Amino acid sequence: MFKKAALFALLFLVGAGLGLYAGWRPSSRRERLREARPFGNPAGREFLKTYDLIARLRMLSMGSALRLRNPKYGPEGSREYLNLILDTAQQGKRQLTDPTARTLIDVETGLTYARLAMIEEAEGNSPAYQTWMQKAQTTLKQAGWKDCSAAHLTQIIQALNKQDACDSPCGKG
Amino acid sequence: MKALRFCGIAVLSGLLIGALVGWHYGRTVTQGQLIWEEMLAGAEYGRLALLQYDQADPEHARQALLSDTNFSKSMTKLPSAQGDKALLIDVGRNYLRLAAIEELAGNRSLSHQYVLDAQESFRSMGRDIPEEKLNQEVAKITALARPSSPPS
Repeated sequence: MFKKAALFALLFLVGAGLGLYAGWRPSSRRERLREARPFGNPAGREFLKTYDLIARLRMLSMGSALRLRNPKYGPEGSREYLNLILDTAQQGKRQLTDPTARTLIDVETGLTYARLAMIEEAEGNSPAYQTWMQKAQTTLKQAGWKDCSAAHLTQIIQALNKQDACDSPCGKG
Repeated sequence: MKALRFCGIAVLSGLLIGALVGWHYGRTVTQGQLIWEEMLAGAEYGRLALLQYDQADPEHARQALLSDTNFSKSMTKLPSAQGDKALLIDVGRNYLRLAAIEELAGNRSLSHQYVLDAQESFRSMGRDIPEEKLNQEVAKITALARPSSPPS
C-alpha cells in the first residue's frame, strides 16, 4: 500500500512539474504579448525598444549603486558593472532612431564614464582617470551640458550615487 | 493494464494541477515583472530628462522634457501601467517646466499653452487645479532660473 502511494506521489510530482512548466510558459508569454499589443506600429516598436533599454539601464544603475556602496565588491567589481552599463548602452543605442532618446543614452554613458574616472582617481590611477574623465566631458558636452568641468561632474556623481543608494531596495537600511 | 491506468491517472492529475498552478503563477509573476519594468523605465527616463533640464542648454532641456512627456504618455498605454497616476503627474510637471523654459525664452503664448496642457494632465487624473495656481508654480520654477547645480 505504502509503495503504491509513494509511486503515485512520485508520478504525480513528475506530472505536476511538467504541467507547471507547460502552464507557466504560455501564460507568461501571453502576458508579455498583451503588454506589447498596443505598440504594433513602427513608432510603437521604437518606443518598446527604448522602454526595454531604459528599464535595463535602470536595473544596472541600481546594481552599480549597490556595488559602489558595498566594499565587498571592491573597485574591480564596480568597474565590471559599470562596463556592463556601457556595453548595454552602446548596443541598445544602435537600435534607436529617436535623436533625443539617443542623447539621453549618451547622458547615461557620460555619467558612467565619470563614475569610472572617480574609481580610478580613488585608486590613484591618474592616466586612467584622465582618459575616463575626458570621455565623460566630451560625451556630456555633446549632450548639451553647460558645465563639464571635472569638479562639477564629480559633484553630480556624488549626488547621484547618494540618490541611487536611497532608491535601491538595500540602500534603505 | 491496471498498473498502466494507475500510472496514467497519477501523471495526468499532476499534469493538470501543475498546468493550472503554472498558468496562474506564470501570469502573476510576469505581471509583477512587467509592473517592475514599468516603474524602472519611467523612473530612469524621467531621471535622465531631469538631468538634462538641470544641466543642459535650453534647447536640449526642452527636447528632453518633451521626449519624457511623450514617453510617459506612451507608457500610459501599457497594460502594466493601468492606474499608474504617477505618469500623469510626471507629464503635468514636465509641462510646467516647459512653460517655465518658454517663459524665460519670452515665448508667452507657448508658455500659456503648456500651462493649459499641465492643467489637462492633472485633470485627467482627477485633480482640477486652477490656472492661477499653476501660473504661480511656473513663476516659482522660473524664479529658480534653472540653476546649474547637482541634483538634490
